[in-house]
Amino acid sequence: MPKSKKEIIAIDSISKIYHLGDNVVKALDDVSISIYENDFISIMGPSGSGKSTLMNIIGCLDVPTKGVYKFSNELISEMNDSQLANIRNEKIGFVFQTFNLLPKLTSLQNVEVPLIYSPLGRTERLQRAEEALRIVGLSDRMAHKPSELSGGQRQRVAIARALANKPSIILADEPTGNLDSKSGVEILNFFDELHKAGNTLIIVTHEESVAKRAKRRVELFDGKIVVDE
Amino acid sequence: MNRIINYLRDAIGGVLSYFGQTKLRTSLTLLGITVGVSSIIAIMTVLATFEKSYDGLVSDMKTNVFYITKDNPVQISFGGSGRGDRNKPNITWSEYEQLKRSLSLTKNISATVAEEPSERTISVGKNELNNKLTSFWGGDAAILSLNKYEIISGRNLNQQDIDNSTRVALIGYDIKEELFPYSDPIGETIKIDNLPFQVIGLLAPKGEMLGQSMDAMIGIPISTFLQYFSGRNWRRADIMLILESESMDTVDAATDEAVGVFRAIRKIPPGAENNFYIATNDQLMDTFGDFAGSLTLFIGLVAGISLLVAGIGIANIMLVSLTERIKEIGVRKALGARKIDIFLQFLIEAILISLLGGIVGIILGLAFGNVVAFFLGQDPVIPLDWVFYSIQICASMGIIFGLYPAIKASNLNPIDSMRYD
Repeated sequence: MPKSKKEIIAIDSISKIYHLGDNVVKALDDVSISIYENDFISIMGPSGSGKSTLMNIIGCLDVPTKGVYKFSNELISEMNDSQLANIRNEKIGFVFQTFNLLPKLTSLQNVEVPLIYSPLGRTERLQRAEEALRIVGLSDRMAHKPSELSGGQRQRVAIARALANKPSIILADEPTGNLDSKSGVEILNFFDELHKAGNTLIIVTHEESVAKRAKRRVELFDGKIVVDE
Repeated sequence: MNRIINYLRDAIGGVLSYFGQTKLRTSLTLLGITVGVSSIIAIMTVLATFEKSYDGLVSDMKTNVFYITKDNPVQISFGGSGRGDRNKPNITWSEYEQLKRSLSLTKNISATVAEEPSERTISVGKNELNNKLTSFWGGDAAILSLNKYEIISGRNLNQQDIDNSTRVALIGYDIKEELFPYSDPIGETIKIDNLPFQVIGLLAPKGEMLGQSMDAMIGIPISTFLQYFSGRNWRRADIMLILESESMDTVDAATDEAVGVFRAIRKIPPGAENNFYIATNDQLMDTFGDFAGSLTLFIGLVAGISLLVAGIGIANIMLVSLTERIKEIGVRKALGARKIDIFLQFLIEAILISLLGGIVGIILGLAFGNVVAFFLGQDPVIPLDWVFYSIQICASMGIIFGLYPAIKASNLNPIDSMRYD
């Protein structure tokens, strides 16, 4: 790992503990990881290994029970809901397995959603959204609703939405899980391009073929990181 | 500020698309608000038209005029003084004559009695008047000027008519138009309940007031009226006294004097209540005000209940909308929406829905109120103050009943919400 790269995420011995009735479940147990600029990481592990929990915490959707999480030197583990929302909005681009596009909105409007919660003005918002759709090659589908697009196109709209805010990291949760293999390969190729363009990517997956694309591989088992190479 | 504009745009889009999908459900919710608001607006429109013509009516009546009657002539308030005391004695002709002799501050005192409306049959030869008279009255020479009628041909009643109980009549313009369309009625004979009267005067048309023609009327000498049309014992028949002071400045003193003298005539002991009613135009105004007030209260109650039900409907529809959109809320939160963003989005939607219902209600209410006003012969009005209040009420309702769903939506957890299906 070239240490000359800038550290974006510093996670230092975090744990996430759930109480289910009398049972105490350690979803994450003393996990530490650093993520650097232009990393391309795959996070793997069987279900129940804690990879979703780790992704939620990295994505600032959840906070650890114990430990320190710093994102660009900001102390995430101490933030309140509003501050977390702002971090998600400004620093993180999400790509979900089920796309999670809003069905009533057009592609352009969907890409605009995160920008609505940013301080950008209307003109700049539109420009950014159009630019993001152009990057994913959907300039000609801006007025289409998700129901009028193929699965691969929907996921590309979702990627455009993730890119719109120019995030520090792109966090993809099983991005090819709901796609046919051809569209899946297309999306993965696109992730490669994003990585070459300098973006930082984290892909959570259980598919070996997806994980192989990444330059760094993290595996979880029983709430602990067992592989990081 | 930028965010607020975005919420608005989003919310309007949201509401519109929501409408597209759940037309029936949303319309039913809106119906409640619409009924509430339209009933407020309709009644306020009608009241406003009445107030307008009532102002005209009162300024039309000389303000140095006051009345002595058995009961409050305007019996239109709910509850209130109500339908008078049946035991009050009639105001009689002899009391009128005694009063007339004793007053010094009153310039003029007239006795009058009226049937309004009147069921008498009016005919000329074989032609019978189709419509009922709106007023059939007995009076004296002063009645015309007190009520602002003018004679356009013929003469007024005079003292001889009263003294001799002559069978002469003044007719309103409607009567001439129907019974003497092509001829001069003066000197002709008309029959009132088959009793012949000679027409002595024709009155200039006055038009309509509160939807009733002021010209479908016939006036005869009070003495003649009492003798032929007031039942067996005319000396006991109830009459109304119209008194006129020298000027508006002396009307209070003249009223006090008249009350004092009338109490003396009736030998009412000091401290006992008047067993008659004395009405000034101010009191008429007050009576109208009472009526309008109690009507407003009643309608306010009805509208309030309907708005409350509508408000619960809004809360319900917002909660339904919330459950249908849990996933959307989760996605929005994941993408950076804060609690306040989701809260405002839902609240603005609730306000927009209730405003929409309110605006439909205002339009319907104005339409209905003005249709009623039209049939009562009034000019159309728009009670702008109440339009304004209604909008405020609707906005407040949106806030009050949208609050709980909005808080609930804003507190959703993004991880769980995104998984919700």
